[in-house]
Amino acid sequence: MSDWSKVTRPIPVPNQWTQPFWDAARRSVLELQRCQSCGHFQHPPYATCVQCVSTDLKFEPVGGKGTIYAYTIMYHTGDKRFAPAVPYASIIVELDDAPGALLAGNLLGSPYTDAKVGRRVEVIFEKLNDDITLPQFRLAR
Amino acid sequence: MWENRCKVAVSGVGYSKVTRSAEIPLAAHALTAVKEAVADSGLRLEDIDGLATYPELPATGHAEIDGISVVSVNCMMAMLKLPNLTWHIQVGTTNIGGAVQQAVNALLAGVCKYAVVWRAMHNPRGTYQNLPGAHATGAAQFTAPYGFGGPGQGMAVAYTRWLERHGQNREKMATLAVTQRKHTQHNPQAYFYGVPLTREDYLNSRWVAYPFCLFDCDIPVQGAVAMVLTTADRARDLKPRPAYLAGYGQRLHFEVAGRIGSLSDYMLGGSSSAKLTWERSGFSPKDVDVAQIYDGFSASVIYGLESYGFCKEGEALDFIQDGRIELGGELPLNTFGGSLGTGRIHGLWHIIEGALQASGRAGSRQVEDVNVAFVGASAPIVTGTTFIFVREPY
Ligand SMILES: [Zn+2]
Repeated sequence: MSDWSKVTRPIPVPNQWTQPFWDAARRSVLELQRCQSCGHFQHPPYATCVQCVSTDLKFEPVGGKGTIYAYTIMYHTGDKRFAPAVPYASIIVELDDAPGALLAGNLLGSPYTDAKVGRRVEVIFEKLNDDITLPQFRLAR
Repeated sequence: MWENRCKVAVSGVGYSKVTRSAEIPLAAHALTAVKEAVADSGLRLEDIDGLATYPELPATGHAEIDGISVVSVNCMMAMLKLPNLTWHIQVGTTNIGGAVQQAVNALLAGVCKYAVVWRAMHNPRGTYQNLPGAHATGAAQFTAPYGFGGPGQGMAVAYTRWLERHGQNREKMATLAVTQRKHTQHNPQAYFYGVPLTREDYLNSRWVAYPFCLFDCDIPVQGAVAMVLTTADRARDLKPRPAYLAGYGQRLHFEVAGRIGSLSDYMLGGSSSAKLTWERSGFSPKDVDVAQIYDGFSASVIYGLESYGFCKEGEALDFIQDGRIELGGELPLNTFGGSLGTGRIHGLWHIIEGALQASGRAGSRQVEDVNVAFVGASAPIVTGTTFIFVREPY
């Protein structure tokens, strides 16, 4: 299993459009941008609804269960900060409640060989510092 | 069909030396390639009145220094001091294929007569793709904290989706790597000229980002290539036989920045560009005699073959088997070795090879009886463009 304890991750810098996502994550809640006109959830945040072009968008909680849409196993150690975790699974997750919205994460708590397209996962939260908590994923229990 | 088909042609082509690292400034590479292309046409630099390029440095986390890590139009203007220059451009929404298309448009509009397009690529010291430093801003705030860095990983995630949805086996990709390396042995300009590759080499090579092993990735190099474009009637008076442009297209699909891993983004990008090219030229995939499809990462060829319509989705790794993409096969592919053979110079070399095959100038790698040469000049996602060159105007 990948040893993440020695990895120093780049810290996300929220901007005015993404701040609510990170505020919610700090409370261990997953919130995505939702169109108030058609109900569509989307990620990453965007200026308009990608379905109906409405500009009436708010962040709302979504369920943390989903499936692995795609993944890669990283072996390259070009960035030395991630070298202690190699090989590790970087995954893309499609949430049950937000089809089409793709969230990146790592597969935590399992060997990287458990990453497979279509496998069920659930969100967990990894605190980086007092301001930033990172949504992450593990196999669904 | 496009009323302007076969009204513009590729004439001369040129290359700099391709080296692994930067031994001389990139501007010197670009200058060599441009001068060689102009000389290949039988023209003088004073004849050149149009300049176009796409100067982006794809390596992340490195400084863009004009003349050193990129070669802009301004840099070329300062070097050449062209006395008869009338037009120039740099493009942004497409890769180098867009610069070629803009040069075509300028020639059709009559605002220049002989345009040169070049692509110069730098290999910076240290790691090619760097994650951000201590902080991740913009779209990277949702990807970099998880170790997602350059485009290779973005393409790798889409590739696992493709493989597992279609029940495919990545070992079949060895055929592409080995065949293209065979073709490379007919291209003395290529980085891997004189360096063979076996199926065992491919299957035993180290992982970079699964499903990509070392030989799925083009090697970063320092080098430049260039071509001269002119109107068809002028091209007929020049030294080389012209390759006539029958049609072109550009990707019309875009998704929100920062969304990675979506296979459909590749497919919709490629199909939208190819549809324009097929409609404008009047040809279809079955008419194509030889194809160059961008292969910076091997999976790009899969997305290209499928989204352009050469085979159905999920079938590309079977399509390339059994000699089909060899020089004597049904669809000779990346006959100059592709980026996997030449090194990372982006899609202008694919466009050059399409033109050389159409004009019968490809030397020992020339495919017999070529009339229709297809080019997919960059990854279908984000920056994709497509072209068809023909030997006989129609
Ligand atoms: Zn909407």
